[in-house]
Formats: sequence, structure tokens, C-alpha cells
Amino acid sequence: MSNVLEAKNLTIRLGDLTLFEGINFEIKSEQISVIMGPNGTGKTSIMRVLAGAIKPFKGSVKNFAKSTFYLPQKITYPHNITLFEYLSSIFFNNNWKWYLERDEKKRIVETLKDFELLSKRDVFLEQLSSGEIQKANIALGLLSGADLLLLDEPTSNMDLVNQMKILDILKHLKARKVTIVIILHDLNLASNYGDSFIGVNMARVPLCASKKDFFSVGVLEEIYGLKFKVVNGEKSIFVQTFN
Amino acid sequence: MLFCLYISLFCGYKDNGIDFIKHLIEKNGEDFLIFELLRAPRALKAVIAGSCLSLAGLFMQAITKNPLAEPYITGISSGAGLAIVLSILFFGGSNYSFWGFVGAFLSSVTVILFAGLNKFSLTKLILVGLSVNIFVSSLISLLIIMNGEKAYPLMLILSGGLTNNTIISNKILFAFFVFAILLCIFIIPKLNFLRLDKDLVMSSNANKDFYIVFIIVLSSFLTSLSVFSAGIIGFVGIIIPQLSKLLVGQDFRWLFLINIFLGSGLMLISDYISRVVLYPLEIPLGLTIALLGVPVFIFFLTKKGGKLYE
Repeated sequence: MSNVLEAKNLTIRLGDLTLFEGINFEIKSEQISVIMGPNGTGKTSIMRVLAGAIKPFKGSVKNFAKSTFYLPQKITYPHNITLFEYLSSIFFNNNWKWYLERDEKKRIVETLKDFELLSKRDVFLEQLSSGEIQKANIALGLLSGADLLLLDEPTSNMDLVNQMKILDILKHLKARKVTIVIILHDLNLASNYGDSFIGVNMARVPLCASKKDFFSVGVLEEIYGLKFKVVNGEKSIFVQTFN
Repeated sequence: MLFCLYISLFCGYKDNGIDFIKHLIEKNGEDFLIFELLRAPRALKAVIAGSCLSLAGLFMQAITKNPLAEPYITGISSGAGLAIVLSILFFGGSNYSFWGFVGAFLSSVTVILFAGLNKFSLTKLILVGLSVNIFVSSLISLLIIMNGEKAYPLMLILSGGLTNNTIISNKILFAFFVFAILLCIFIIPKLNFLRLDKDLVMSSNANKDFYIVFIIVLSSFLTSLSVFSAGIIGFVGIIIPQLSKLLVGQDFRWLFLINIFLGSGLMLISDYISRVVLYPLEIPLGLTIALLGVPVFIFFLTKKGGKLYE
């Protein structure tokens, strides 16, 4: 399995605050890589550097993906625009091309169906719930045809069922040679859907591990500073915390 | 718009709709001259000024995502004003509208360059544009005060109107206009794409800064053209884009067409009213537009605006 992203000797600073100093890691292709950790430890900064939205203070990120899509945590959207129109925006990227091709319309409708938003296709965005808008933005990522999706807490406003549905959709993308890097907070969901993990904590040294290594009491305690109990079930891992 | 075009072309103080057309077809002396020398160029310029202003406003509002943005935001109006005043004071004022065009375009390019120093940002663009506007307006006032005897004609010209240029400059104007519309047709789909948040990073989005600057320069060019044809006219560039959004939503393909229609329609009908109401006096076009446009806009705003601005 090859690497899609390779971070070499990366130093990330916010103003005078050094978040990370000289760190190295890589993201394997056709996997779901999950970045986890408490608030304010630099998950989003890592993501933005990976996406190329900000330049690292030192070091470099090599991106081997054909095309990349980065969904930030907060994005604005225009008012008075229907869901279908919003999603169709992504296909107006070529100059002179004034029309949507039939194929593109079909893809939008199919994606809406996958995300169970088809009934809302003519509803204005501002009338949708924030979970639904998040779903729409993830749908944009799918429609963009990118083979590397960087998603910053894409499921934070969704209920459990929807979170699982979205993660299911993302999981199926792996078969279409898409690599996903995602920031999640729910440990159990992460253990169910993630393939490899990057843990970030105040010690400023990200911890890269496979699923088995990551979900051990020692590692989790080091990242979150809480007491954990990890149960290895037959199919999945269950994590519980107690203080 | 066709109706407005009809009124503008075939009605006037020396008027009578259908008869006028008959005379035209027969190439009957006086009416034909009126048509060819006065009304046709006027209508052409009204269409150009109206559509350029409203398109420029549409682009600026789309790029800044600010409904209050207007075409003059890049310091254009004052740049044009200064050039017009200077040309009248020092070059005798022949073809001052062409100089207005040059001044408008130069000033906005200067502002865009300032905003592009270091790192381009839209906020910087707006602030620099605003400062330059204030600075240059003061210069204009100073020049007018120092040349008191010419103050009245200067004020009249600065409040805008479809004044007569030479035929050559009309041809230049038309050629520029066609060129600008071609550029618009080229860039319109991109505006639909730019509805997406600029922080979304996509590989296909890599050169978006180039397009944003391209669109700003294009709208400066459009605004300069409107200065060329009608002087400095406020209100159209901020209200018509809003009105068309109320009517057709956020699809820039429709917005493009409806802006051209509404912009030139408003311009044509206001020009007609300017010409006939106080004949033989002519009301400055800018005033008619405001007096006519504001009530219409407020009507639509209260009727349909709730959805858009809640």
C-alpha cells in the first residue's frame, strides 16, 4: 500500500506558539485515517497543513493524490439557494461551460439519494438543519471526484444514526480508491470505521498507530489523560471511560 | 426592456410613436436625423451604461459576498470624477467622458494593486478603495472651489447624463462593450462555482485568487465603460443586482441576463423621463434614476425581500 501524504520534518506554528516541531508521519492510500485528541491540540492545524490551506513553518508535505478536497469545520454558504443548486456549483468550474451535463445532474441526484436528502433538493439551504448542511458539504466532496478527502469534524452536528450512515458511505469510498483523513471525537465510532489513527495531545508529539495499537489503555490514557477500559469484541472494539 | 427601447428610440418631445417609425422607414428628413444623431446613440449608451453598471455591481457583490458592495468600491467614481474635472479645466473638455473612462480604470487598477501588495485580500481592497475615494473626492472639491466660475457645469457633468460624444468615441465604446460582454460570458460559470466557500480547498480550485482578481478587474472595466457612456451614476450598480436576486435567485446564468435587461431598462426609461418632463431642460440622469428606482426597489424589498434578508 502506497502513501498518499508524506509529512517530513514538519514544524507548525500559530503566531509564536509552536504546535508541532519536526514531526514525521504518512497517510496510507485507500484507508480511513482518523485524527483524534482533545480540543486545542492542533488537529485542525495538521489538517490545514495537509490540505495546503496554510504553509508549515518548516518542513514539507508531499501530496500524491490526483485531486484533493478539504472540508473545513466552518464554512459559509450563500443564502436563497436551493440544495440542488448549491451542489451543482461544483460542476461550473470550467469557463464557457454554461450548462450542466445530463451525467452531472444524474450524479447530483444519486448523491442526494445516498445521503437521504433527495426530498430536500429544492429546499433553501438556510432552512436545512446543520446536520443536513454538513451532509450536503460531504456530498460536495464526493461530487468533486477527489481521491483524497480531508474532513474536519464532518459529523459534529449529526445524530448517531446519521453519523453512522455517513461513515458507511465514506467506508464504501475506499473501494473506489479514495483515501480519507477525518477528525472524529467519538472513540467507538472511530474504532469501528478507522483503519489507522493519529493521536494528538498537549505533549505536541502526534502518535501514529494501527487500530490495535491505538485502542490500548496506555495510549488512550496518554492522549486524553483519563482512565479507560477497552474491550476487544469479536468484530469491534468497545471503549469506556471512567474517572 | 424592448418596451423601454421602443420608448427611448421612438418617443421624445418631438414625438409620436408610430408616426415616427413611419417617417423613419420613409427616411423622412427631420425625424430621421433626430433618430440617427440623437436617439440611437443615446439609447445605445443607456443600454451600455445600465448593463455595465449592474453587471459590475453583481460581480462585486458576488466576490465580496457583501450585499452592500457596489461597482464604485474600487475608487472608480472619484478617479473618473478627477479625470473629468482635470480634462475640462486643462484640456478644454473635449471628449471628457473618454478621459473619465481612463481615469476610472487607472484609479481602480491602482487600488487593486495596493490591495495586492503583500497578500491580496478583499477587506484591504474595500478599505483602500474607500480611502482613495475620500482622498480624491476632496481633491475634486478643492479643484471645483478653486475654479468657481466653472463650478456649475462641472457639477452638472459630475451628476451624470447621456451626453453626446463624437461618433468615433461611440464606436470605441461599442467595441469595448462587446469585448467586455464576451469576457462576462467567459467568466459567468465560474461565478456559480465561487458560490462555494473559498476555504474549501480543491485541486480544481487552485487558481481561484487569479479568477477573483480577474473578476474585479473585469468589473472595474465595466464600470469605467459606464462612466464613459453616462458619467457617474449611482444606485443602479447596487440596486439592480439586488432586485434581480429577488427575482431569480442565485443562479448567475440567469442573473447575468436579467441584470442586463433590468439595468438597461431602468436606464432607458429614466433617460426618457429626464428628457421630456421638464423640456427643454434636462434633468440629470442620476437624479431621475434615484427618484424612479428607489420606490420600485423598496416595493419589491417589502414584498419579496423577507426571504432573502431575514
